Amino acid sequence: MSTIKTPQHPFVEGMITAFPLLLGFVPVAFMLGAEAAQKDFSSVLIMFLTMVNFAGGSEFAAIELWTSPPSVLFIIFVTFMVNSRHIIMGATLAPHIKHLPKRKMLTTLFFMADEVWALAMQDINKQHKLTPSKKGFRFDFYLGVALSLYVTWSTFAGLGAYYGGMLGDLHQYGLHMAFPALFIVILVSMWNGKHNALPWAVSAVVAMLAYQYLPGGWYVILGTLSGMLVAYFQGESDA
Amino acid sequence: MLDYATLLTILGMGMVTYFTRVFGFLLLRNKTLNDTQTRMMSIAPGCVFIAIIAPEFLTGTLGDILALCVTFIAALRLGMLGTIVIGITSAYGFNWLLS
Repeated sequence: MSTIKTPQHPFVEGMITAFPLLLGFVPVAFMLGAEAAQKDFSSVLIMFLTMVNFAGGSEFAAIELWTSPPSVLFIIFVTFMVNSRHIIMGATLAPHIKHLPKRKMLTTLFFMADEVWALAMQDINKQHKLTPSKKGFRFDFYLGVALSLYVTWSTFAGLGAYYGGMLGDLHQYGLHMAFPALFIVILVSMWNGKHNALPWAVSAVVAMLAYQYLPGGWYVILGTLSGMLVAYFQGESDA
Repeated sequence: MLDYATLLTILGMGMVTYFTRVFGFLLLRNKTLNDTQTRMMSIAPGCVFIAIIAPEFLTGTLGDILALCVTFIAALRLGMLGTIVIGITSAYGFNWLLS
């Protein structure tokens, strides 16, 4: 993806960077729409939901739990649980965006879905390596990533609700592997030797245990916090 | 079928989701972190990814797990697009072979 050498506007660069992810977004959004249609959602209504919320995992959970009429507080609570990982993501982004004007800051946070955050953190690291003196966060790049994913997600959810279950089970096409693959690419780029090894291993084990035994999105929170705790103690022993 | 409960649920979802996105930022906005805290925050993103992927090894099919391993090897060599394409095709291939 970095084979193009001509300077581009960061917004366009963001759109190009996000492109491989659309392979995953298109069918998954279509599935979401198809499932929503089963619960009597119109195309417009599921598009409205995805545009207000823009957090895929919680949208699948909400549709899964949807009854007619929906149990309002229950679904809102599940949404919070599934999305509580954003709290940690926002915290990691904070030092990079706190200098922005409030309008840009609040816009950035509105679009902070997993994949958008992931690509933003990767770009921040990349920019920081190129010019250590400058702030690594590029708002235009971020918007390019965010808007292409946002528009795609919402549009294909709407189409999915309209065209229904033409796609069948996603797993047969392997497309569910798009997001894990992205995360693995970024993990490999973050690897810096033995300092990661122990926290990551602990995160993995705790996440699996929590996934098995606890409800909702706890596994992401507990997995992450346990890895951070290991990093805390590593510091003690290094000093 | 846009009834009151539906509208309220959707708006409520949007509100709590936005809250989760803003809250962590608000917590750390005015803090200067010391060395230990900086190390913890810099390890956090990787741990988030690990924590999201790890349960896949419990819930995925054998084909999915093999595909994750192939994807990992691909990620050592290839960029994002190449790795995602290999991830998808290997998941398709392994699940087809093993079904």
